[in-house]
Amino acid sequence: MMNRIEAEDRLLKTFKIPNFYDEQWITISKILNGEKVLLIEKTGFGKSLCFQFPATVFDGLTIVFSPLISLMRDQVKKLNSLGINAKCINSEQTIEENNQIINEAINGNLKILYIAPERQENSEWLESTLKMKIAMVVVDEAHCISVWGHDFRPSFKRIINLVKLLPKGLPILATTATATKRVENDIIEQIGDNIISIRGNLMRDNFKLFVIKVSSEDEKMMWLGRHINSFPGNGVIYTGTRVNTEVYANWFEYLGISSTSYNAGLDSESRVEIENGLMNNRWKCIISTNALGMGIDKPDIRFVIHTQIPQSLIHYYQEIGRAGRDGETSYVILFYNPKDKSLPQAFIEGARPSINKYEKVISTIKKELLGERELMKATNLKLNQVRVIKSDLIEQGIIREVLLGRSKKYEFIPKSKKLDNDAFEKLKESKLKDLQSMIDYVEAESPRMKFICDYLGDNSKQEYINCDNTSEKKINVKIKPEWEEKLKDFREDKFPILEVESKGSKIVNGIASSFYGVSDVGKLIYSSKYENGGDYPETLLNLFVKAYSKNYKYENFDVIIHIPPSISGNLVRHFASKVSKKLKIPISHDLIKIRETRQQKEFENNYLKAENISDAFEFKNPTRLKNKNILLIDDVFDSGVTIKEVGKYLSKLGVSKITPLVIAKTVGGDVL
Amino acid sequence: MINEASYWITLAHLPDWGNSKINNLIIKFHHNYQISIDEFFNLDEQVWRKEYELEEKQIIDLKKAKSEITNNSFIAESLLNQGFEIIPITLPEYSQTLKSNLKSKYSPPILYIKGNKSILNEESIAIVGSRDASKNALLFTDNIAKKASIESKTIVSGFAKGVDKKALDSAISYHCNSVIVLPQGIMTFTSGYKDYYKQVVDGELLILSTFFPKLPWKVELAMARNPIIYGLADEIYVAESSEKGGTWSGVIDGLKKNRRVFVRIPEANEKNANNILIEKGAIPVDINGIETQANLKLDDDNSNIQTSIF
Repeated sequence: MMNRIEAEDRLLKTFKIPNFYDEQWITISKILNGEKVLLIEKTGFGKSLCFQFPATVFDGLTIVFSPLISLMRDQVKKLNSLGINAKCINSEQTIEENNQIINEAINGNLKILYIAPERQENSEWLESTLKMKIAMVVVDEAHCISVWGHDFRPSFKRIINLVKLLPKGLPILATTATATKRVENDIIEQIGDNIISIRGNLMRDNFKLFVIKVSSEDEKMMWLGRHINSFPGNGVIYTGTRVNTEVYANWFEYLGISSTSYNAGLDSESRVEIENGLMNNRWKCIISTNALGMGIDKPDIRFVIHTQIPQSLIHYYQEIGRAGRDGETSYVILFYNPKDKSLPQAFIEGARPSINKYEKVISTIKKELLGERELMKATNLKLNQVRVIKSDLIEQGIIREVLLGRSKKYEFIPKSKKLDNDAFEKLKESKLKDLQSMIDYVEAESPRMKFICDYLGDNSKQEYINCDNTSEKKINVKIKPEWEEKLKDFREDKFPILEVESKGSKIVNGIASSFYGVSDVGKLIYSSKYENGGDYPETLLNLFVKAYSKNYKYENFDVIIHIPPSISGNLVRHFASKVSKKLKIPISHDLIKIRETRQQKEFENNYLKAENISDAFEFKNPTRLKNKNILLIDDVFDSGVTIKEVGKYLSKLGVSKITPLVIAKTVGGDVL
Repeated sequence: MINEASYWITLAHLPDWGNSKINNLIIKFHHNYQISIDEFFNLDEQVWRKEYELEEKQIIDLKKAKSEITNNSFIAESLLNQGFEIIPITLPEYSQTLKSNLKSKYSPPILYIKGNKSILNEESIAIVGSRDASKNALLFTDNIAKKASIESKTIVSGFAKGVDKKALDSAISYHCNSVIVLPQGIMTFTSGYKDYYKQVVDGELLILSTFFPKLPWKVELAMARNPIIYGLADEIYVAESSEKGGTWSGVIDGLKKNRRVFVRIPEANEKNANNILIEKGAIPVDINGIETQANLKLDDDNSNIQTSIF
């Protein structure tokens, strides 16, 4: 085996780096010796080199399991620029591209191949692994294998099983930047077989850590609006919810601050575009849910601001870890309003569907081998519910995933144990405890970095002087009246967007006059709809007309059409008539339902919603609508399935354009 | 055992070795030296040469195999994750009937299964016959299944058309346990699995294959599977056989090995080779699977069995 001097000689030639850190060399020498290592080091330490270097030494292919496509792409680019043949296969490339890369791997032309753990579910992949010469296996972001971690992924569980099956003497490296002692022990226990753990210190001394205590969301918005442009460079603002990414981005747009919003709900094209924009500093900041960042290797993110506390201190460490990889000063700010606790709390409490939903899935799967979609149809459960239940049942060994050709099905495991509710309770308790650690951080008076390191099990002795509890000044929010004015104006100027555009339909994205959950809007609607509160009140009409004037004053609508009711009687009809009177646009009541439908809210998933109203509408005298510009009115916009269906139908009748306008748009979780 | 799966897959399908050589090696490390398969593979080449008296060619093969364990780990993970199991010949769960029928010379070193594996060590019969079976053959098959159900015997069949399919469906309708022996790798068994999923879950059906899990159906595999069907059963019932093909060669082979093979007595107008098999020593039975009087006189043991049933 090569010694350190020889290795560093080679390192310089291949990677243009003069030497290893001690911990890197310890890891690498073990890997070269065919051992198994768990490496826990902070972001920016150079964990990747610990497998990339041996990969270039080994005769054969190194397979790297990584959960993130952006991370794979990034590392591949870097390796290629050094002349090392690395590639990744992923779901965003075409089958041809992936096959081409697999062939290269089989032919021995590749040194490093990055893949997502889900690839193990792919039959062609499995067959091709039989023909590769494999020298090492790497599990990146290894904390994903532990349910006690902050980002458990069931597909990683399978990678552990794979690792256990690999022969002795095959080097294996598992890496993570964020693992508490508990997660570390869990990983060691799961991989077993003499895996050695190497843990470095987690201190990031280039961070400036602040906690800003506020008493409302408005204070956060105003403070950020006023100060964001004074921060150096570019950064990321994490909000707790998707809707808040929109709200903050709208607010910044209103103020002329350059920003964009990002969340996992975006299509992959938009996501890649925003990721690239981030790399090129296209915006002052990106406002995102925590979907952005893990694995984005941008060295100079100068600030990371959270408007909402994450679920745990380990989430927080992971998310702020993206700041200042280049070692330069970076601002790390956390806003805290005591009320904020309720969001992660609700998330933890409501993370799991009720037990009877689990039982429903179990009894359904006992009878029949079903895929995800079939399971949704058979149980009337939401996609995310089905996914949570599935993954829990797999974890508990009650069901398993099987492949029938290319399709994934779920089967019951005979003689498996009963559903263990206690396991959920324990997990919930543990998560609530983790959340408490976040609150403790906010309230801490000790050095903040030390607080984090202690929590993560890094007990190395260091000097901590980089926060508002040590040498930095505390930030207090003082609001000037002009900012309150600005925020008020903004609120009356920006409206929630209804995204309904689709190919082949004349419908365009419309707006709602409000979010359902904002002020009293939802309550008023609910009262009219379900508590015999009579017609929708004037307040809602005024709000609606205001939204109209702000957005469509100059649009010439030919006719107002409203969605026919299923249960709420003539509420929408009356409301639309009043709107018609006020706006002086003719109205037609000729859109009718030609068959009985049930209330959309009875259905938990969009497949069943779509089925419920598919081909349910008809317009009397359809020729009258030819080339007409239509304003389509409804009360509540939830999934948008109904409005889209009507849009599709009216498009067939030759209308020129359909613009939907509703009283309120719901955001995931609103009770209708 | 689970962690040894990739080793077993590798050893069981060593090219050109054949079951006999592989089993002899297993006997050596498992019985003689009492070490596990991974320990064996991690032995020094010198030990293989001296203590295991392996030839140079074999050592080369084993070294190559060793380098393939990593590759087979990927398949093994997927296999186990989908609830398939690997039963090496060294485990008590391995069918003892198969072992005693095929001996170390022919027994497959591992079985791939899914379902209730305890079925493997129950008393069992095989029902075999042609893919284009006659009405009588199918009726016979149904009768035998009914009889097996009364006698609490497991039915082994081959999951082909005709008699095989009838044997399976009748077994299910009489709630008789059954084993189907696949003519393909177990991971490629897809469409059929959906249809018989319920029976697998209920523990009444075991799916079994001896081939590399990813191998698709092939005529050769269908032929190679027949001895496994015959081997898994204590008794063999032949519904219908022509004078060539899998059923025929299987029965001939069984008779050579002194297996108890029962053949349905055909009606006069039937065109098949049942009578020839009876001439060659198979035991004739009627449409209900009952031995004819003539035979009972010849074989006292059998008459005892018959009386004990009724």
